[in-house]
Amino acid sequence: MNKRNGWSVLADIITVILSLIWVAPLFFALLISIRPTSDPLGTGNIFFGRTITLENYQRALELAPWQWHYLTSILVVVGVLVVQLITITMAGYAFARMKFWGRNALLFILLIQLMIPSGVLVVQNLNIMRQINLFDTRWALMMPYWGSVFGVLLMRQTFREIPPELEEAARIDGANLFQILRFVYIPLSIPTYVAFALVSVSARWNEFLWPAMVTRTAESRPVTTGLSQLFSATEAGTNYGQLMAGTILVVAPLVVLFIFFQRRFIESFASSGLK
Amino acid sequence: MEQVSTSINTASTVQSRRIKHPTWRHLIPYLLIAPTLIFVGLFTIYPTIRTFEQSLYQPGMNVRNERGQRVQQPDTFVGLQNYADLFIPQTPPHPIVGGFLQILSNTIVFAVASVGITLPLSFGMALLMNRAIRGRALWRFSLFYPVLLPLIGGASMWAFLYGNSGGLINTVLRSLNIPTQDWLNTPDLVLWSVIVVNIWKQAGFYMIFYLAGLQSIPKDIYEAAALDGASYFQQLFTITIPLLRRTTLFLLVIASTYAFQTVEQLDVLNKGMPANRANLLLWYIYQMYPSSQARGYVNAISMVLVVILFTFTFINFAFFERRSADE
Repeated sequence: MNKRNGWSVLADIITVILSLIWVAPLFFALLISIRPTSDPLGTGNIFFGRTITLENYQRALELAPWQWHYLTSILVVVGVLVVQLITITMAGYAFARMKFWGRNALLFILLIQLMIPSGVLVVQNLNIMRQINLFDTRWALMMPYWGSVFGVLLMRQTFREIPPELEEAARIDGANLFQILRFVYIPLSIPTYVAFALVSVSARWNEFLWPAMVTRTAESRPVTTGLSQLFSATEAGTNYGQLMAGTILVVAPLVVLFIFFQRRFIESFASSGLK
Repeated sequence: MEQVSTSINTASTVQSRRIKHPTWRHLIPYLLIAPTLIFVGLFTIYPTIRTFEQSLYQPGMNVRNERGQRVQQPDTFVGLQNYADLFIPQTPPHPIVGGFLQILSNTIVFAVASVGITLPLSFGMALLMNRAIRGRALWRFSLFYPVLLPLIGGASMWAFLYGNSGGLINTVLRSLNIPTQDWLNTPDLVLWSVIVVNIWKQAGFYMIFYLAGLQSIPKDIYEAAALDGASYFQQLFTITIPLLRRTTLFLLVIASTYAFQTVEQLDVLNKGMPANRANLLLWYIYQMYPSSQARGYVNAISMVLVVILFTFTFINFAFFERRSADE
């Protein structure tokens, strides 16, 4: 019994140490971001500076057009999510509840999207965006994600678990397809929609490589490119206070969102891996 | 019996009624799928075909003709020559893609090390989090939060930790009189510095899957083993790890797929420098795409990545989707 307690205490200690190591990057990023530039790390206390200041945030905000970056990120996140919710509901219902010629073949064609991630097709997708004259627009950041096969599979699975009797009852009452979706399937699937939304929002907010390639002007660039710009700005260069202030500006919205939705976030990421 | 035949009759009436109005009713499912199909076709299938096609060509030069005007020569079909240039070493190194084999090997080291270290670590974290411990939600938050951050944001925090003169790690080492390292500019060190960031970012994600796996193992198996006198570690190796084999296999696939696609951290860490020692395939593509002369190679490298990722996800699909379809 004593020995068991010994192991337990050891495991508790490891848990705390591991967690502290994992939190350290965020913690020190916050600390350095509110420390005056005139009082760098090496001069004394590695935790706190002599005073607390927001000058780094002011400078970081001046070094990139953040108002445009935030606007673009928000528009892209919303613009992708709204269209996705519509397309995955439609296709999810068709695959869950309808029988039609070529169903399995079509599903298999869609699965190619899961097998070839769009991340490696960036060069050709860039050509497509040039050809259809959407290069350097917010549309180019949204369109490739309007069809989500992961979302379709998720909704198919969720809709299948809804008793078909509910749909039949609605049909007998004269409901059409739109009404059946609106009043039967969608209300019963809200938790799945929320889970999908969280994954979709964080994926689009965090994306960098594609926006960096397909956009040029500040108006159509999202927040991640603002952070990249800060790193290449000579003034910020190795001024870690300013760099970390910029980093906090980019990551803060998701950390706050996470604190609000913690449990649901973890569950939805678990199901998102099941694609 | 009679009831059964009645229901069959009803079914056949429905069937015949359906045949009477075949046109628009039969179109509904296709209309519902059409938007998804169009976007998948336009942004996945078509670009894959174009990538393969262009990987077989060398782009034409932009030259001056006799009258001094700039003309674009047509692309020439070169078969698999672009792939040969990538994979067959030359002396002196190929002017455009001489770094390819180094970068391919970096990418494989990056993937194998990230997966090989992260998965056991995630499993350990899940074991720790699966116990009764005060403040569990807080500890779990601490380990999981990097998953949510933009990779470029997480990496920029590490850029500060790694920084040579003003960075945190070196500042601490200096105050303890331990020799400092230039974490992001030492050729033998830099890839490992990048791998550490990836481990930190992903461990919490895989932990969640192991936690779910641990919670699905029935408690009475452990009780029976304990009655037989099995120690905690005996139970771990004879019950827990074998029962989580499927989870491990699944995570192996998704973690490998992920590792081949994560390159955004390089933008703020070191851009793949020094001497390409931390460069990764997708970042290499990103660096090369603006050069028109590299077009054939960029597409060939993209194809190499497509094949690698397709293989992993195909395994994933064959093993796991099929199983869930059966359920």
